[in-house]
Amino acid sequence: MVSNVDKRKSKILNIVAYGIVFFIVVPLLVLSFWSFAGRWPWPGLFPVGFTMRGMEELFSKSANMFSVVTSSVLLSLTVAVLATVIGTMTARALVFYDFKGKELVSFGTILPIIIPGTAFAMGVHVVFIYLGLADTFIGVVLVHLIYALPYTVNIMMDVTAMTGDNLEIQGQVLGIPPFRSFYHITLPLIMPGVISSVSMAYIISFSQYFITLMIGGGKVKTLSVVMVPFIQSGDRTIASSYALLFVLSTFVVFILLELVIKRFTARLNGI
Amino acid sequence: MELSLKNISVALSGEEILDSVSLTVDDGAFISLLGASGCGKSTLLKTIAGIIAPSKGSVFLNGVCADHLPPHKRGTVIVFQDLRLFPHMTVAENIAFPMKMRGAAREEYVRTTTELLEKVQLQGFERRRVREMSGGQLQRVALARALAANPNVLLLDEPFSSLDENLRQDMRQLVQRLQKDYKITTILVTHDRQEALSMSDKIALMMDGRILQYDTPENIYDTSVSRTVADFFESAPYIEGVVRDGIFKCEIAEFVVDKPDGIYQAVLRSGAIYIDEKGPIRDFYVSEIQYRGEDYKITLKEESSNLQLETYISSPCQFNVGDMVCIGLNVSRVLLFSSN
Amino acid sequence: MRPYLLLAPLILLGILFLLGVGNALIQSLGYIPAFGMTDLTLEYYKQVFSNPTLIASVKVSLVIAVVSSVLAAIFGVLLCAALVMNGYVRDRIVQAIKIPILIPHTIVALFMIMFLSQNGLLARILFHMGLITAQDGFPMLLYDTNHIGIILAYLWKEIPFVAYFVLALMTSINSTLGEAAENLGASGIRSFFHITLPLCMPAVNKALLIIFAFSFGAYELPFLLGATIPKALPVQAYVEYIHPDLRHRAYAMAMNGVMLLITLGISGMYYLLSRKTERMNGEQRG
Repeated sequence: MVSNVDKRKSKILNIVAYGIVFFIVVPLLVLSFWSFAGRWPWPGLFPVGFTMRGMEELFSKSANMFSVVTSSVLLSLTVAVLATVIGTMTARALVFYDFKGKELVSFGTILPIIIPGTAFAMGVHVVFIYLGLADTFIGVVLVHLIYALPYTVNIMMDVTAMTGDNLEIQGQVLGIPPFRSFYHITLPLIMPGVISSVSMAYIISFSQYFITLMIGGGKVKTLSVVMVPFIQSGDRTIASSYALLFVLSTFVVFILLELVIKRFTARLNGI
Repeated sequence: MELSLKNISVALSGEEILDSVSLTVDDGAFISLLGASGCGKSTLLKTIAGIIAPSKGSVFLNGVCADHLPPHKRGTVIVFQDLRLFPHMTVAENIAFPMKMRGAAREEYVRTTTELLEKVQLQGFERRRVREMSGGQLQRVALARALAANPNVLLLDEPFSSLDENLRQDMRQLVQRLQKDYKITTILVTHDRQEALSMSDKIALMMDGRILQYDTPENIYDTSVSRTVADFFESAPYIEGVVRDGIFKCEIAEFVVDKPDGIYQAVLRSGAIYIDEKGPIRDFYVSEIQYRGEDYKITLKEESSNLQLETYISSPCQFNVGDMVCIGLNVSRVLLFSSN
Repeated sequence: MRPYLLLAPLILLGILFLLGVGNALIQSLGYIPAFGMTDLTLEYYKQVFSNPTLIASVKVSLVIAVVSSVLAAIFGVLLCAALVMNGYVRDRIVQAIKIPILIPHTIVALFMIMFLSQNGLLARILFHMGLITAQDGFPMLLYDTNHIGIILAYLWKEIPFVAYFVLALMTSINSTLGEAAENLGASGIRSFFHITLPLCMPAVNKALLIIFAFSFGAYELPFLLGATIPKALPVQAYVEYIHPDLRHRAYAMAMNGVMLLITLGISGMYYLLSRKTERMNGEQRG
């Protein structure tokens, strides 16, 4: 509702809001700009000429860039889908059932957020070597899952609690078996939650650097792992090009994800 | 304090909610805003309180334009439908809140809180938490808190709708007593016509963002300005007829009226007709008998047409479905509305 | 049975997680059979607390985490209040606020390098304004013991995070109880501080816990923007972990143990506090 309070917008609060938005947007613009910056000697405010050096680095010289991006996206999509499925299952257990150890489980789901990543990574490294999971795709998926789950469980619990199971039970009363009731009745209703859960898990996985490096041992190459040495090296043009590729590929994946999920939902209940 | 609204219009996200509403509430009067849900009555309340800014028109308090006053300086205090008690405060803290906000001294607000709790019959509940109280008790706390704000105008937004019938009666009495004690100008928003008829000095009937009639309960019921208003209080069948030379004539009856010539609709409410062996209206039979505890509702149908009337008779009922009956007409209670 | 079936995958992953953390703890006590170390000892913890470099690391991590998370909470709440009070909740601004949540810390580090290094954009702008005459005139914000670059990087991510985390709750409280408070005679500011903010505190505290624990234990930003000496705990721990002398691994694990104890201690405090306020308020909303 438009209220009177809105009409008397506080100037100070406006400055806060727009100021912070300014600080968010400017680095992104500069990033795109810097990807094409040529020589940029001190103290010039603008680079001397533009270059495709960054883009060439991405697309020609390292010919395997395409495969890095695809495998990186595939890895994160795997994590996103699994984390959402497990998140939904967990959420249903926590929302619809009372059982022994329920408090423990719901406390346990936030532990990966709280416990320092290095402690887990270094500890589990040896375990993974022993299990033969170190330096493997599956190993990296497993650890990424652990970091994505606190968020997906949380998101799916909210939407599951909001949707409830009344309609699903109605479906069962009408003679539809439980899983099909869930699939055809509840799933379309919780789709908004599924979309944010998948996106959140994707971005968590796609962003991981340290743990991917530890568990993947440099054999599982993700965009994050390949990008960081350039950020470290100080070649800002190439680092910016990688960062730009990272941001753009994320947006493309998000747009496609939403399209696919909406299509899927439409087909789910189409006649 | 006298409250007066002049041509208030409100549009929210492009949709017109209130359309040129004007209304004056005398100092100390209790009026009801009556209407179906979605008619704009709650919006009007929020507009009076300054929470929603009108797109046109002005609010006057004691004749002074209040448009520039922000909500917290108007003294137009709402008891919200969902009460909105502060969950992080005790009962006493909730009631003391408005007094603290206007800078009252500690002794004053402690004393007033105790007084108000007595007034709403909640002595000894000071230190209770909001979640430890029942619905009726919470309602009393909300009322006490509103009174603690020293309202110029008290605005009650469907305050009783969430209560059981018995509790509702108690709360109505409490509200009326307090309103008389404090002589606060009060507006009650309700969709319950009985509530509005029994509690108010005046009723403003709202529909689609307009006030259709603003009058005393008796007048608005007995001399509704339009069939829409009459139907809101009791939906009843009507018969078309003609007035000529001061006599109304229709299919089933004719009687003297004080209306100019023309075509009219005569609304026949249950109170306007009665079953009477000597009644002038014939050809009706009993089509349905519904037992209602204190009385029976009788549905009467005319054989030749589809005309259907309803009336109430007290127990015991000596009729059976299918009986032919004669009907008498209480002419003074028939409402006539011009068809043009 | 049903709930346990639904929980099975989560529990399996949970076991894997605890196995990892537990293994780190056991190694921190000097039990690493693979390297022939089998005696349980607190020696490595003692070493951590007696070695000045390592004590400095603990301090670095604490300073970064405390300063960045407290500032992020304050400004995050301010930003959230700005969005709610000025009615931007359905506005495009909120979309902009979500962007930093999508950008990884590694790229934020790059932003800081672009803007804050001594030949970065900010220095160039100051030069053109005549405020500094050479690169050296611009203060060292990165790779320095003042940790400003790291803290600013965290703030860039975390202020919007806090705002977004609290937004839904603050919107709903403001439009009901905040509105009621104003109606009862409280000005906008007093209604915010007496009603809306206290009722939002559970969410603010939760956000604070999350960002504190993260900035205390995360590797990326101190690795990319931190000083060479002293290093933040996670970075120093990794240095010890890959030390050619394999016995240093126990130091690494002891440092992890210290981090673990601090974050668990703080989470425990948070848990007790939130239990207490929950008992007082009942449901978060009345």
